[in-house]
Amino acid sequence: MKKVLIIIKREYLVRVRTRAFLIGTIVSPLFLLGVIILPGFLAGRGGGGQRQITVLDQSGDPKLFDAIKDRLETHVLRPDSNEENDFGAATQFVLTRQIVPTDQNPNDSIKRASTGGADQSSEKAYLILGPDVLDDGAPEYHAKNLSDFSIRALAESVAAAISERKLMKAGFDAAKIGHYMKPVDLKMFKVGAGGESKEGGMRQDFMIAFALLFFLYITVLIYGLFVMRGVIEEKQSRIVEVVISSVKPTQMMFGKVIGIGLVGLTQVGIWALSTALLSFFGAAVFASRGARIPNIPMSLLVYFVLYFVLGFFLYATLYAMVGSIVSSEEDAQQAQMPVTMLIVVPMMIFGLVMTNPDSTSSIVLSMVPFFAPTLMMLRIAVINPPVWQVILSMLIMVVTILGCVWVAAKIYRVGILMYGKRPSIAELGKWLRYT
Amino acid sequence: MNVVDLKNVTKRFDQFVAVRDLSFEVREGTIFGLLGPNGAGKTTSIRMIVNIFAPDEGDVLVMGKHVSPELQPHIGYLPEERGLYKKMKIGDQLVFFANLKGVESTEAHRRVDEWLKLLELSDWKNKKPTDLSKGMQQKVQFIASVIHDPDVMILDEPFSGLDPVSVNLLKNVILDLKQRGKSIIFSTHQMEQVEQMCDDICLINHGRQVLSGGLKEVKRRYGKNTVIIDYEGPDNFLGGSDLVKHHNRFPNYSEILLNDGADAQELLKRALAAGARVNRFELVEPSLNEIFIESVTGKASVNNRENVA
Repeated sequence: MKKVLIIIKREYLVRVRTRAFLIGTIVSPLFLLGVIILPGFLAGRGGGGQRQITVLDQSGDPKLFDAIKDRLETHVLRPDSNEENDFGAATQFVLTRQIVPTDQNPNDSIKRASTGGADQSSEKAYLILGPDVLDDGAPEYHAKNLSDFSIRALAESVAAAISERKLMKAGFDAAKIGHYMKPVDLKMFKVGAGGESKEGGMRQDFMIAFALLFFLYITVLIYGLFVMRGVIEEKQSRIVEVVISSVKPTQMMFGKVIGIGLVGLTQVGIWALSTALLSFFGAAVFASRGARIPNIPMSLLVYFVLYFVLGFFLYATLYAMVGSIVSSEEDAQQAQMPVTMLIVVPMMIFGLVMTNPDSTSSIVLSMVPFFAPTLMMLRIAVINPPVWQVILSMLIMVVTILGCVWVAAKIYRVGILMYGKRPSIAELGKWLRYT
Repeated sequence: MNVVDLKNVTKRFDQFVAVRDLSFEVREGTIFGLLGPNGAGKTTSIRMIVNIFAPDEGDVLVMGKHVSPELQPHIGYLPEERGLYKKMKIGDQLVFFANLKGVESTEAHRRVDEWLKLLELSDWKNKKPTDLSKGMQQKVQFIASVIHDPDVMILDEPFSGLDPVSVNLLKNVILDLKQRGKSIIFSTHQMEQVEQMCDDICLINHGRQVLSGGLKEVKRRYGKNTVIIDYEGPDNFLGGSDLVKHHNRFPNYSEILLNDGADAQELLKRALAAGARVNRFELVEPSLNEIFIESVTGKASVNNRENVA
């Protein structure tokens, strides 16, 4: 046992001390964080500040302008809705009214302003309220930038103001109109395992689920390949012979798998912890700056770590086995294919599970030990499957891991001393029976 | 007392018999030469001694006990094919190997410094193997096999790839270890080195013992049936001769193995009669190199023990 610890220590320290580990640990989450919150920040910046809009008014209804101005300049954005303005772009609109006689084309004023105008540099935008805007006509918005997150707010406000004026003209009570015009939100609730409902959003669930799935996939794959390369390095450089004259091959394999697994756990742990801290303390900071980060439940992070550990051990033993039967990295490229395919398959069919997480096929797929780390994780993130399913999937994995360890240890023991041609399946079968 | 005893050991891999009914013993405090052509079963035998393989039949005893993990710290092993971790500092690797053999870290560090100094590698302690020449790496690997101060050392081609200065340095270290009572199993194809260093030898071929015993005794067994002749002039007196069994031509002299019962004087007469000018004519014991070739190619009939079937 002590010798296994010595090997674990070596495997761990040799890898944790590298620059690659440091970069991987710090940069990957920053990258992910960037993907999640950067668009919000950028949108906030881009749309933030002032937006000058000249309203070219042909409607002949001064109160329409007031209504639009009122809505846009006061309570415009509703950062609590689930839509694009999630990212909380706090754009400030400044509206100026310019009455255009009905016999003039308002587009001419825009042309004039943008060709001969003195302040070409400033981003000017125009809102055209045609003479028939309170009947069937549509208002028009002219601007250089139409892909701004704040445009939706503008559109909503203009539409609401026009509807309001239409109702006024039709003789409705002004006080009542305000009440009727109140926007209606469709609130979304997620039903949990115990039947309790929790408010949440589709999009947020998707993002979290996908991020977890992706990170599990990548980490299990990368750390599994680390194990394989480590075994090949020892075999190629013939270090094995010296090591196994001191320890049993099985101990050597366990030491390597556990050591590298701990490196992975360190990395994943740092990620999980920083995500948890970010969810707890960081959310407020980001929110105050106008950006929101998805709130990842603590239980998901715990499951993530659990499935990483299980997934890693399952694949690492298989990769150790592959490493032991090949003699070079080139050889390994081919030999590892079956194992890598097992990791990749769930990445190809996860859409199936995501859209129908509770279907029989999804349940069955998420029980397959080789798919469980990714697909069960996905189901947990999306629908909170019954606890028994989660526990069952883990039990199946543990049993499979034990089986794989048994086979891998036998193959490894023989393989690390065999050089030259890659053995056939039949030969591998014989190795299992060697004493 | 014997530190290593192989008693009628057989090891098979599927149909292939790597070692067949092999027996030999290594006396304490001696250097034992384990010889044989490539594929003879040397490495398999060694792997059984260091507990990598278990024998299918027979007994492998080290210090009187069957090999087991408990005995491994008493054995040092330098395999023929060997390497170092590429991305690990020399000092760290050696401490790691010492730890694996049960040496505590503080003691390991002390020994690493000592050995690096002895083999003139102190400046390289914090370098990685990629910064070292092949010869230096060899020396580091040697240290790795002796760092835990084992009682039995198995050195497989310890000098390959070393320059003469390093060879000498390492030879002295090995002889020094022998002086301190360590037992060494030495495997090599360099017969001169065996003649220089070994007390006993065992020659195996096709997994079986062909020849074994004390080096001097083995050579004596062959008798003085070899002629070293240094001559100028025609060499036709050698060709088709009923006297000469085997002939090794070297740039400055020829080594001639005589047929059984052949008279060396007769050869000298013929040489002179043929008009050769003989500068040196000496009757000697055969070189180990010659014995090796004879034994392995099966031409030898001198072997007193049972012949190869």
